[in-house]
Amino acid sequence: MTEPMIKPDVMRISWGPQHPMSGQTRILLDVDGEKVHKIIADLGFTHRGIEKILENRTFFQGIIPIERMVMADTANIGLSYIMAIEKALGIEVPERANWIRSLVCEMARINSHLYAFGLQAESTGYFPAVFLWTTTDRTVLLDLFEELTGARWSYNFFMPGGVHKDLPEGFEAKVIKGVEYLRRRFEDYWVAMVENAVFETRCDGLAVLKPEDAIRLGATGPVLRGSGVPMDTRKDEPYAAYGDLNFDVITEPACDVMARTKVRYKEIGESLKIMEQVANEIPGGEISTKTSPFVRPKQSAEVMSRVETARGEIGIHMFTEAAPNPYRVKINSPTLRNMYVFERMAELSEILMADIPVVINSIDPWYLDSDR
Amino acid sequence: MTHLGLNVQAGFIAQTWDAIMGVLFNLPSLTLEFLRVNAKPLIQVIILPGLVFILVFAIIAVWFERKFLARAMLRVGPYYCGKRSGVLQVFADFLKLFMKEIIVPKDMDFMFFAAMPVLVSTLPAMAMILIPWDSNWVLWDIGSMSLPMFFAIAGLAPLLPIFAGWAANNKYSFIGAFRVAYMYISAEIPLVICAAAVAIMAGSFDLLKIVEAQQSMWFAVPQFIGFAIFFLGVIIESERTPFDIPVAEVELVFGWRTEYSGILFGFTMMAEYVLFQAWTLMFITLYLGGFNGPVILGMTTASHIFWLLAKFVVLVVFIILIRCVFPRLRLDQMLHLGWRTLTPLAVLNLAIVLALKMLGVY
Repeated sequence: MTEPMIKPDVMRISWGPQHPMSGQTRILLDVDGEKVHKIIADLGFTHRGIEKILENRTFFQGIIPIERMVMADTANIGLSYIMAIEKALGIEVPERANWIRSLVCEMARINSHLYAFGLQAESTGYFPAVFLWTTTDRTVLLDLFEELTGARWSYNFFMPGGVHKDLPEGFEAKVIKGVEYLRRRFEDYWVAMVENAVFETRCDGLAVLKPEDAIRLGATGPVLRGSGVPMDTRKDEPYAAYGDLNFDVITEPACDVMARTKVRYKEIGESLKIMEQVANEIPGGEISTKTSPFVRPKQSAEVMSRVETARGEIGIHMFTEAAPNPYRVKINSPTLRNMYVFERMAELSEILMADIPVVINSIDPWYLDSDR
Repeated sequence: MTHLGLNVQAGFIAQTWDAIMGVLFNLPSLTLEFLRVNAKPLIQVIILPGLVFILVFAIIAVWFERKFLARAMLRVGPYYCGKRSGVLQVFADFLKLFMKEIIVPKDMDFMFFAAMPVLVSTLPAMAMILIPWDSNWVLWDIGSMSLPMFFAIAGLAPLLPIFAGWAANNKYSFIGAFRVAYMYISAEIPLVICAAAVAIMAGSFDLLKIVEAQQSMWFAVPQFIGFAIFFLGVIIESERTPFDIPVAEVELVFGWRTEYSGILFGFTMMAEYVLFQAWTLMFITLYLGGFNGPVILGMTTASHIFWLLAKFVVLVVFIILIRCVFPRLRLDQMLHLGWRTLTPLAVLNLAIVLALKMLGVY
């Protein structure tokens, strides 16, 4: 990466990759005292060439590497790739499979949002309570995942044509129990974190991203909805069972870091609502249409699939030809889109050195996602 | 030998020999005499306001903080060292820090760099010897100089991180050092005004007289504003959450301590607790009645020491509790608090004290 010249009287600080909070990225900051003049995000430290790997594997083999993009949110990422395959091959999915997919996706969304929520707390220096509370409460979801899919983290549960296994016996009751537990815990989070006086002082009015700026810069997910733009792929272009499910798109008018935190908080509530609906109203029937693992398309095709992940909308643009592997897969990842927004934050509003971890965690970055 | 300016007399060597042997023969009795005359100051230096108290407090406080905060975080804390209680973890960590190499960054000022952590933990310990534990248990009784002397010594403490941050030649250390400067200046002015109000109310700068003036009522009651300001000041001065701005880990790696490793880092951690200790004891002396309390079993000195220790323990637990409730403030918000809230309130507190004094209540 070429590093632009810096102005005199400005100190350039490398925030990461060797830093307790930065993660696997480097962010260059031009600071004058505490004030940040310019943010330059230097991505690519964890580039693994997932797009290239997908070209060399069969459609089914590709499910495993693509889920490694975001470990906290594997279901949504995996679903986007599987939906692209289904579109390219023209595979129908039974209704029950769609409902199970929605259930797993929402559980993954809560899992990911809990992690984001904890990091948001930690970035303000609130390490003790909330980060480890969220980490502990995730075990409820991980236990459910384990019972349903057999794995706690990377569950390659979806496959073209449906899902691998049906719900185990008595699983619906366990989902309801888990939802009730998490609802109770979330009241604590609201009091301990969102309504905490010092947390409010830190986050209110910080890094304001106006709706027009958010749209212009291509923000997505909770960052966009935190700027008051009601855009959610689950509503705009329903996939899986979201057309039949009853939930709201959360927006917050304040456009600041606090708004993004509240959007995540309330989205978890909506996800819990969806989990409850699925557990109560799931239709019967088949869980998959039989598809051969060695399936190959008859002719070339160009398909696009969009899925609302926890970090925003992921787009998979796939070209196929009459071969057992895709010709080209282009991934438009949500973190990359939001990182462009983050780079402009210092120009849009005043940001101090101490705000950098708070602001970057408000976009919920996952660098493996942006580097692919 | 005279040309060298030395006048060696004939009996010089014999005289010196006699003197040395005289001292050696009388060494046991001289030592006993020295111990008998200086018994009290020695006990004070070594045990109560001195070394043992500081170290034991630091060990217990670190252990308590780890174990207690772990409960708030839904985990168990140190577990394996010391039979599931984690008590020995502190000693294990100290040994580890002691054995580690001290990494010296390139292009830095080594003398400043190595001296500062040692000074930063010993200076607050020097301030602690002024605290009265009983009317005849004061290590350094300098009468009406004691309150100004405490602020003079403790006021040096912020200077050392600034030097340390400058000497380390690191950008994070540098920013951390200047955060220290900003923070202490904004906090220490209201603290000094509050201390002045206490001295006016007691009619003396002598810490002993200040404590004696609180026999009927603690100064926390008439000077509630000053009490609140000084309480915040204690947290600010000891750099604890929510005011641990200079070492903010998520922003500045470890602030002015970033480049320290091994035992030098251990000293900076030690300094945090010694500062905490010195300012908490000062807070009790000024506002919570110092060593005052009911005399138990007729032992005046022992019960006074007991009461000061009891108040100290309660306050320390309370301040550690705050750490699991609040996030960290930003520097500008801290300065806002210091200059626009605490300083005017401190002046108001002073005005109230003067009014009470003029009305003859005190």
